[in-house]
Amino acid sequence: MASLNWRTINIDALDPDSPANFDLSSLTPAIAPVSTADVQALASQIRQLLRGGDSEGALQGALENPPYGADDKGKDIHLATVIEILQSIRQSDMSPMLSRIYSSPGGPEALDVLMKYIYKGMSQTSASSTTRNIAPQATGFSQIHSRGGGEGGGQAMSVLLSWHEKLVEIAGPGSIIRVMTDRRTV
Amino acid sequence: MSQSLRPYLQCVRSSLTAALSLSNFASQASERHNVPEIEAASSPEVLLNPLTVSRNENEKVLIEPSINSVRISIKIKQADEIEHILVHKFTRFLTQRAEAFFILRRKPVKGYDISFLITNFHTEEMLKHKLVDFIIQFMEEVDKEISEMKLFLNARARFVAESFLTPFD
Amino acid sequence: MLLLDYQNVLIESILKDRFAQGPGSIDQVVSDFDGVTFHISTPETKSKILISISVKCFPELVQYGAQAVLEREYGPFIVAPENGYDFSVQVDLEALPEDQEAQDDLIRRISLLKRNAMAAPFEQAFDEFQHLQAEASKYTSEQAPQGVREGGEVRAIHYREEEAIYIKASHDRVTVIFSTVFREETDRIFGKVFLQEFVDARRRAIQNAPQVLFQNKPPLELQGIPGVNDSGSGDIGYITFVLFPRHLTNQRRAEVISHIQTFRDYFHYHIKASKAFIHSRMRRRTADFLQVLRRARPETEEKERKTASGRTFKVQG
Repeated sequence: MASLNWRTINIDALDPDSPANFDLSSLTPAIAPVSTADVQALASQIRQLLRGGDSEGALQGALENPPYGADDKGKDIHLATVIEILQSIRQSDMSPMLSRIYSSPGGPEALDVLMKYIYKGMSQTSASSTTRNIAPQATGFSQIHSRGGGEGGGQAMSVLLSWHEKLVEIAGPGSIIRVMTDRRTV
Repeated sequence: MSQSLRPYLQCVRSSLTAALSLSNFASQASERHNVPEIEAASSPEVLLNPLTVSRNENEKVLIEPSINSVRISIKIKQADEIEHILVHKFTRFLTQRAEAFFILRRKPVKGYDISFLITNFHTEEMLKHKLVDFIIQFMEEVDKEISEMKLFLNARARFVAESFLTPFD
Repeated sequence: MLLLDYQNVLIESILKDRFAQGPGSIDQVVSDFDGVTFHISTPETKSKILISISVKCFPELVQYGAQAVLEREYGPFIVAPENGYDFSVQVDLEALPEDQEAQDDLIRRISLLKRNAMAAPFEQAFDEFQHLQAEASKYTSEQAPQGVREGGEVRAIHYREEEAIYIKASHDRVTVIFSTVFREETDRIFGKVFLQEFVDARRRAIQNAPQVLFQNKPPLELQGIPGVNDSGSGDIGYITFVLFPRHLTNQRRAEVISHIQTFRDYFHYHIKASKAFIHSRMRRRTADFLQVLRRARPETEEKERKTASGRTFKVQG
């Protein structure tokens, strides 16, 4: 033990009363754990609605039952479901649909959940393809091309970005604040 | 402005506006200290959920809010080696002048090219919406600047090459 | 100034002054590209100007016939080399040629001292090319004997610490290869952009220019040459100029030799210039950003405060 440099020990981590060991679970309401199988069942139900052409119902269904208690895998499944719904809805339908959900009972909460999924969706791409090597420069005339084009994930992102814009218009910046502060993550 | 740039910047703008709600908050760990909690990370309950806004995998913004400070990290598009070196040079140039920029962080967060750190003292001293404007304008201009520098370099290279070879003609 | 001058401007101006104004004492060390140093002085009397040159690779140049070239250029002016230098010429101001034109020509010749010293291997290679061309015309391409088809030996001039020029003559071309070192990453990438344009320029605009090739590995011509770094690392680049017979004619060779000698310095000079420009551009842009950030500060205009009687206070700094 003599060789241990005790000056570098983070004593806060060892002190149960230290603010570093604040019990974060006390900030969240009790959440019932949700199994991955349940999430999957819900996802297939929602897909059925989506196939039936009821994208609004599908969206509402997905947002009213966010699997807060699920593990990472379950959450990812639900995220994929929500993204799929969002991508299937046309740009012109976004605002009216959001207004209808907002004015329905429990609507503002549902839109907060939607905001959470939009941010989560945008943080997702990095995980799938982090290794990007810089391409050596193309030769000749192609040097003077404008930058852009051919970026991965650009299409999916622009869908989320336009949803985000519409959502802020209707639900207000407060919903962004609630995404940051709500300890129940999706 | 290109098609997808506007919603991207708009999204950054509204996210930043929401995140810049800061209040003075003294350190809970050591008396008479007042540190940006997002950097100290000594009290998990005052850190909020980070937000990511991305346009595609090469261009994104990470916003890490906390009770008294927000850290904003920007990843700038780098399509090839030249842009990579230009971005690197430019961000290094800026961070070396971090003193003058108040809100610029001297070192970017890992995985990003440049980071800003805005504390409650900055928001008390400066107008919040103007700070947001600054970040947005920065993002716009950096892209433009990099493209222009690259175009300049290519144009100059071409001119230089042709001037050297012309006497042989 | 886009292209570099072939002559040494400082020597030129010193000599011009002296020729015009008469004797005066001089003692000056003049640097040129590629680590070349000149010493221009008046050791004995003020009228006798001694100009000495020191070149890193002088022994190599002598091996490729530099002495002959220099004797041709400076014949009667040559004196024994000054201590510490490789070659010296001396001009007597009291024995100058009468007419102005001959004087100017002398100044020009002396200020081209470095160029002439370095020209020897090029001239030798160009002569060899003419010889090989004459030989080759006697054969069809299949029949040609080994020596003619393969071309001559590779002449290496290690004119800088880590960089060299290689010259090789064949029956239909002369290949000049520059090896150059990029000290830092930025130089390497900028260099690549520039070289790409050199390679493309011929395709695009200047059809008759020499062919330019660029690679990080030593080209085939340099295989088996001692001292060639073939690690293939990105720091070293090999730039190959292929000079075609049209560049090698007797009336053009002097110009071509002068011009191609300046390549390495020209190339690096423009890389540095681009870096400097980009740097100043970033500086300007940074100032713009600061301006925007400054706008975020609310205006705190200090209003002049007055007492009831209209007197003002001055804050003592």
